[in-house]
Parts: sequence; C-alpha cells; structure tokens
Amino acid sequence: MRSWSDGWRRVFAAPAIIAGVFVVTLLTALPLAGVMGVAMNQHLGASLMANEAADGVNYDWWQEFASQGNFLSLGSTFTPSILGFAATLDSFSSLLDRRPIIPAIGIALAVYMVAWLFLSGGILDRYARGRRTGAYGFFAASGVFFFRFLRLGIAAGIVYGFLFVYVHEWLFTKWYVNVTRDLSVERTVFYWRLLMYAIFGGLLGLTTTIFDYAKVRAVVEDRRSMTWALVAALRFLVRNPLRVVALYVANAATFLVAVAAWALIAPGAGGAGLSMWVAVIATQGYVLARLLVKLQFLASETALFQRSLAHVGYAAAQATVRPEPPIVETMFDRSA
Amino acid sequence: MRRRLAVFFSGIGLVYASMAAGSQLYDQPAAGARSPRNASYDIDVQLEHGDRSLHGRERIRWRNTSAHPTSELQFHLYWNAWRNADSTWLRERRLGGNTTTPRSDAWGWTDVRVLRVRLGDRLFGLQTRYIAPDDGNTADRTVIAVTLPGPVAPNETIEIDLEWSAKIPRPFSRTGYIDDYYFFGQWFPKLGVLEDAGWNTHQFHSGTEFYSDYGVYDVRMTVPRGFVVGASGRELDVKDNPNGTTVHHFHGEDIHDFAWTASPHFVERTRTFEHPSLPRVQMRLLLQPEHAGQEARHFAATAAALKYYGEWFGAYPYGNITIVDPAFQSGSGGMEYPTLFTAGTRWIAPARVTVPESVTIHEAGHQFWYGIVGSNEFEHAWMDEGINQFSEARADEAAFTPNYIVRRYFGGFIPWVFRDIRVTRQIDEGLSNYRLQAESDAEATPSFRYWPSTGGNITYYKTALWLHTLERSLGWPTLQRIMLSYFDRWKFRHPQPFDFFQAVSEGAARDMTPFFDEVYRGSNTFDYGVQQLVSAAAGTGRFRTTVVARRFGEATFPVDVVTTFADGSQKSEHWDGVDRRRIYVYDGASRARSVQVDPQRILLLDVNYTNNSRTLEPRASEASLKWSLRWMAWLQDALLTYAFLV
Repeated sequence: MRSWSDGWRRVFAAPAIIAGVFVVTLLTALPLAGVMGVAMNQHLGASLMANEAADGVNYDWWQEFASQGNFLSLGSTFTPSILGFAATLDSFSSLLDRRPIIPAIGIALAVYMVAWLFLSGGILDRYARGRRTGAYGFFAASGVFFFRFLRLGIAAGIVYGFLFVYVHEWLFTKWYVNVTRDLSVERTVFYWRLLMYAIFGGLLGLTTTIFDYAKVRAVVEDRRSMTWALVAALRFLVRNPLRVVALYVANAATFLVAVAAWALIAPGAGGAGLSMWVAVIATQGYVLARLLVKLQFLASETALFQRSLAHVGYAAAQATVRPEPPIVETMFDRSA
Repeated sequence: MRRRLAVFFSGIGLVYASMAAGSQLYDQPAAGARSPRNASYDIDVQLEHGDRSLHGRERIRWRNTSAHPTSELQFHLYWNAWRNADSTWLRERRLGGNTTTPRSDAWGWTDVRVLRVRLGDRLFGLQTRYIAPDDGNTADRTVIAVTLPGPVAPNETIEIDLEWSAKIPRPFSRTGYIDDYYFFGQWFPKLGVLEDAGWNTHQFHSGTEFYSDYGVYDVRMTVPRGFVVGASGRELDVKDNPNGTTVHHFHGEDIHDFAWTASPHFVERTRTFEHPSLPRVQMRLLLQPEHAGQEARHFAATAAALKYYGEWFGAYPYGNITIVDPAFQSGSGGMEYPTLFTAGTRWIAPARVTVPESVTIHEAGHQFWYGIVGSNEFEHAWMDEGINQFSEARADEAAFTPNYIVRRYFGGFIPWVFRDIRVTRQIDEGLSNYRLQAESDAEATPSFRYWPSTGGNITYYKTALWLHTLERSLGWPTLQRIMLSYFDRWKFRHPQPFDFFQAVSEGAARDMTPFFDEVYRGSNTFDYGVQQLVSAAAGTGRFRTTVVARRFGEATFPVDVVTTFADGSQKSEHWDGVDRRRIYVYDGASRARSVQVDPQRILLLDVNYTNNSRTLEPRASEASLKWSLRWMAWLQDALLTYAFLV
C-alpha cells in the first residue's frame, strides 16, 4: 500500500505530465473527430434532420449516415456504442474479443502507442526522481529512452502478436469452442468465456507488467540493453511476486472503481448547447481519470521498484540542465 | 393451369383482368373441416437417444386436389441436406459466406427403407429415385420421386406407407440435437404439393423454408422416460412402456406440418389466453430452467400476438399453442410450426428490450401468416415472412412500447440498453438492413433463387417497408380491412402473390399495379429529395421562393412537397413523383423557412430521407459538433484501452 500511495503522490506531484498526456490523448483523437464532424456536416447539409440530431437522437439519420461510404470508413464506427458507458464496454470487448479495427482507427491507435512509448521515458524519469525535471529534462529523457523503448516495444509487439494471433485463437476459437460445443446452458458457457477472458487478460496483464518493470529498470538504472532490462524485470518479479501482484491488484481495483463510477454517471446523448458541453466535460473527466490510473500504474511500479532495491534510495540532486541518469545522480548524491 | 378472371373496379372505373397461378381445383375444405385435409399423416416414431437416430413408420392419405391426374409422387427428405457437403443447401450456405465444414458428428440424413402405395385393393412396393428439380444437382438428395403403377385421378385418394430411419444432425436450420435437447423440424418424409401445373417439390435451400398441404396429423413419439415432449397439435395420451420409454400421442387437425421437441430439462408452464371476442387458447410454455422468471414475458408476447392478429386478421382457431424456449446453442430458436413455435431469449434479457417479446410475437404471428394462410415459402417467402414482419412490428408497438435498442458485448453475453434510442417501426433497423441490399433482387424472383445472403433483407424488410408505406398511404383501417379480407379468403389454402395484390386493389378501390410493379416486380430504389430552396427579396416586403424537388431514385411514388414560411404558413403540393424534377415558385410576403418532400414519411422505402428536406436555418453544424464530440470520446476510450498494452 505504501507504493500505491506513493505512486499517487508522485502522479499528483507532476501535474504537467497529467496535462501533457491528456493533451496527447485529445490531439490523437481530434483529427479523426474532425473528419467525422465534416462528414456528418456534409451529410446533414441543410436538412431538417439536423434539428432532431442536435436536440437528441435522430436514429433514422444516424443509420443512414452510418451506412454511407464515409471518408476513411469512419461511418461504420458510428454506432450506439459511442454513447455513455457503452463506449467503455465496446473498447474492452473489442480488445478481448479481438474484433477487427478499421485502418483509420488502427493508425490512430498506433500513433497513440508510439506517443506513449516516447513519453514513457520522461514520465518514468520524472517519477523516479521525485522532483521537477523541467520541460527540457523531460523531453531529453523521453528522447534518450525513446529508441530503447522502441526496441522494447518491438519485443512487446512480438509477444502481444503471439498472444493475439496464437493464444487468443487457441483459447477462444479452439479450446472455448470445443469445451462449450455440447453445452446447452448459456450461463455455463458464459462461465467458460469468463475463464478464457481471465486467462487471456491475465497473460496480457503479466506481459504489460513485465514490460512496465523493464521500462522502470531501464530508466532508474539507465540501462541501455533492453534485453537485460527485460531479464532484470523478470528477476524483480520472481523475487517480489507478492508485492508486485498486490500492487497490480490495488491498481486494477482503482481502475475498476473509476470504470464503475463512470458506468453510473456517464451521460446519454443529450442535446446541443449547454448539455453538450456538460457531456464533454464529463467524458473528458473520465478520460482524465483513466489517464491518472495509467500514470498511477507507472508511478507506483517505479515506487515499488525503488523501495525494493538498495541503490535507489537517492534523494534528488540539484537540477541540471541535462539530467544524468537516476543511478548516476544517486552516485553523485552519495559521494557528496 | 386454371384461369381465373379477376375483375374489379376502381373509383374511376378502371377495369382489368389477370391470371392467377397455382390455385387448386379441389382445395375447398373437406366436409366438417377447416382445410382440404388432402395430405394426412399417421406416424409412429422412436427416438434412439443413444445413437441419436429416429426410426419411423408413416401412413399418408393423400388426395389429388389438382385438375389433372398424376402418375408420380414426390417427397421431401429435408434432412438429406446435411448428408454430404455437395447438397444444394450446403453449397448455398457456402455461397452465402459460411464456409465451415460440418464436423464428422454433425451430419444428418434420412433413408426411406420401404415405400408402398395402395391403389384400390392392391398394395405396390415402389422404387424411389432422387431428383433435383431446381438445379439438377445430382449430389442433392432432398427430393425423391416414385412412379405410380397407375394414375391418381383428380379428387382421388390413395394411401402411402413408408418406413424410414434418420440420423439426427447437430443443429442445422433449426433442427437437431445438443446435449439432451432435441428439436425435430422437417423430420419425416413429406409429400410435395401437387398443383395444377405439376408437382411443387423444391429441394431444400439454405435461404428458404417450406410448403405443404393441409391435413390431419396423428403422431406417436416414443422417447426415453422422463423426457418432456412438446409437439404440434394437442396431446391425447401418454403411455409408459416396460422398456423405459414413453409414448406421447399428439393429434393435430388442419395443419400442414408437424414439429416436436424433447428434453428432460424443460420447465412446463401453462396459461390461458382469454379475449371477449376471440376463442380461448391454452398456452403451454416449455422453458429452459435458466430462463425461469421469464415466463410472464413469453406468455404476454404470445397473448399479444393472439390478441392483435386475432383482432386485425382473424381468430386463432386451434385452441392450443405451444411455446418452446430453445436450449442455448441449439440453433432452433425463432421458428414457426403449426400450433408450436420456438421463441428465443437470453440468460440476461433486460426489460424494455424486445427480446424475447419480438421473436415470440413474430413466431406466434406465423400461426396466421404461414400456419393458417399457407403460402409457398420456397417461392414467395415474403408472403409469410414479410407480411408477418409488418404485423409483428405493429403488435410490438401496440403491446410493448417503449422499448429500446440493445447491443451485446463480450461474446454477446453482456447486453447494454440504450435508453436514448427508442425503437419505432420507422427505425427498427428494417430500413437500414434493406438499404444495404435494396437492389440485390426483385421480390418477384422465386425466393429460393435469391442470392443466399440477401434474401432476408428483401423478404422480410422490403416487404414490411412497403406494407408500412401502404398503411401510411391508405390508412390503417383500409389496410386492416384488406388484410382481413385476404386472410379470410385464403385461410387454409395456398394463395399466390396475385391473390394478395388483388385483395389490396379491391380494398384500396383503385388499381395498385403500379405500386406492385415497383416494390414487387422491380428492384429499383426510391429516393426523393430537395435540390434547391431559395427565398429572396422581390420588391418591398415581398419574397420569391423557389423550390426544386427531385427524384433521385429510379422508382416512382406520389409524394407531397410542403414549403413552410417564416410566418408559419405552408404551401402543400401533391406531386405524382414521375418526372425527374418539379419546380415550385411562390411569391408572398414571407420568406421561406424550409421545404420537405414527403413530410409525413409515407414512403418508408425512401433510402435517403436526409435529403428530403432543406431549411434556410440549418443546424447541421450544431448536430455534427455534438455527435463528433461524442464519437471522439468513444475513440479516446478505445485509445486508452489499447494503450494498456504499452
């Protein structure tokens, strides 16, 4: 729990990072939303159908628009699932059920993930130091670790590829189908599906955790070899399984609380004008909460790692224009 | 082919005549019966639970209701559709995109071991041969023919004895087994229909259903003791055998098919439908244990169908109906059989979402459009499915409003109800489905020749849409009278499309041929719209408003064009919709605000209604901003979820 609370402390101690990742999330989504808006505007034109669509839901127009061959095929994603909490269900169901993604969305996802790879170095560096590093320091660290994390990302991509292409296929298309083929009770089949989700989700969680700690070790210890960072992360997990799992469970529980709260308050379609902006604020608040939880994973994992190893009890040195790796700072700190 | 002269008069004195096909010479009800009862079956069948097989003996009493003698009999062996991978059914399923090869334990088939015919006092053993009247596919074994030793004259009756065995398939086309749940549809060798033009015995196709004559079914089903049995007709008695089996004896009159189900797990419930002006009906529900608690929904939906269809079209005459809640993954849900149907619900079935209600109403509704009015589903599937889709939507709306859109996630197990989106007949997704394949086939094409994956949207949705259009155009009282008249005229008989069109023209008191030329004989789409709305100052305090209405689609239909002015006044024009464009110019003291083509949305088949209106005070930017922001939040959610991986 100390790492968990320490993680939150570090997250909130760096509001610029929160704002930064929020802006990145917004900027990644904004261009496609703009394309969507233009397509909708063109389709509605000067039609009276826009009145009902503005004031509430015009499902007649909605279906008509979604069936058009919109630019980048984005129209096909304009389904009721965009409304309220359904969006969250839809995205998790899409991930766990391995639903196909249209190219435009796939590109946005790729861009977003690469952006996270880039920012992760600076974020972890900031959380590891526990003090301001400034924009220059942040982006310098991001730049230093970007190509290392890119290599790590390629390794992660291979593992995820294996999980999604082979393991998912085996779990959901072979095992699940075979084991439920003769079952005539839906509840029993659902429990089997839950088991598959648990296994697959567990594997995804384990993979993410390993690669997270590899990044943490890479940053905190200024590791250049990502292979050895991975090995070191595995070693850390093997030596501290209970603490790692406990922290993961605490963070996952935090995430579930955020999602459950969103399920209760997520706004419906609403109208244009004030209610639209209220809905925007609510949805962006939810996005922010999700980002905070994501940052908390990184910060608390950093805290746990630093708390667990002898050489990381460093105090932040004076700010330098070009920050040295945390381990070097630690050495300077001790020699002083 | 017998000619029938159909002459009727419209309001302007129009007279025309036409030909009808397929009606029978001796298809009037048998004495004391509702139907001709010209194909009656006595069947003894044994279910071998161990090796998943059926063994049956049947006697058919068949009367030739056509105008001509016949020296041949033709039978359906539907289960042979799953005998080999080259059957027409499986070929068409592959064409439709399902390329899954059935597993080795999935196949099913029927073998006729003995076929004898009694002509006069003599009994003749006959050789069967497979025929493929639709596509000549020699690998298809779903139809057999036998040559009789002598002709059967019109109105003459013969008896046919058959002995057969069948391997029960894993679920295909609503029939088969899973675990210890069985559903048996199209399970016995069954005669085709002899029409004046010859035998109408189609092969089994993946996209179409069935067609058969009315009769009396007396069926004894032997099943392992402890199995609950539901079947067409009414249960007469149950007898336990010393060998651990039980015989269930069911009897149904004036029906044209017989289906049954067996499972030891059914939870049985009964309730009585009562109505001041309709006959009482005993409803029997066979429910899956995991759906306990959904009894009331099934009964309410069945009662809604009996009530509204009964009030609108005609009474349900049988006195009993069996609702089967199918086992999960049985593939037998949502199917109609005489006096029995399968519904379909889910373990998690939220209230105010019309599952199971809509499927229950639909299948109960088929008791009227299919069961009582026995159209040919092979050739004119719209006559039962389409008419019933329309009727179901009306009954849904009358009985279960409001209801909402639902989407399912996580393998379809977790539903989410969208309280923002109320389902109405206008947006029940019929139009959006039809729109996708509007031009894929003309309805006049025999249904079994439709491209396999497109039939549903034409058969169900296009028909429902043009019936909704007719309702909006003629008014419900008129359309209801038309459908009642058609129902009454064709109950327990086999109507053809012309018979329905004739009923509509008679009821509408005008020639509706142009309408049916568009919606039935053609595959053109309807798309009317506004090309231009200009309202400019023309002198002091005067405005000149110009409206250009367009016909963008090939199909034509009369529409209204209504222009609304800033002072609230309106100018309404009736356009026959034939020309490609129509220009209206108005000079007045007020500037125009908007114009609408078909403002009442009479033409529900219009595939693009957004272009039907134009306003000089557009709010598209407001709407598109709002919806693009909502969509952006969805995208951000997706980004965050996938970012979990980095």
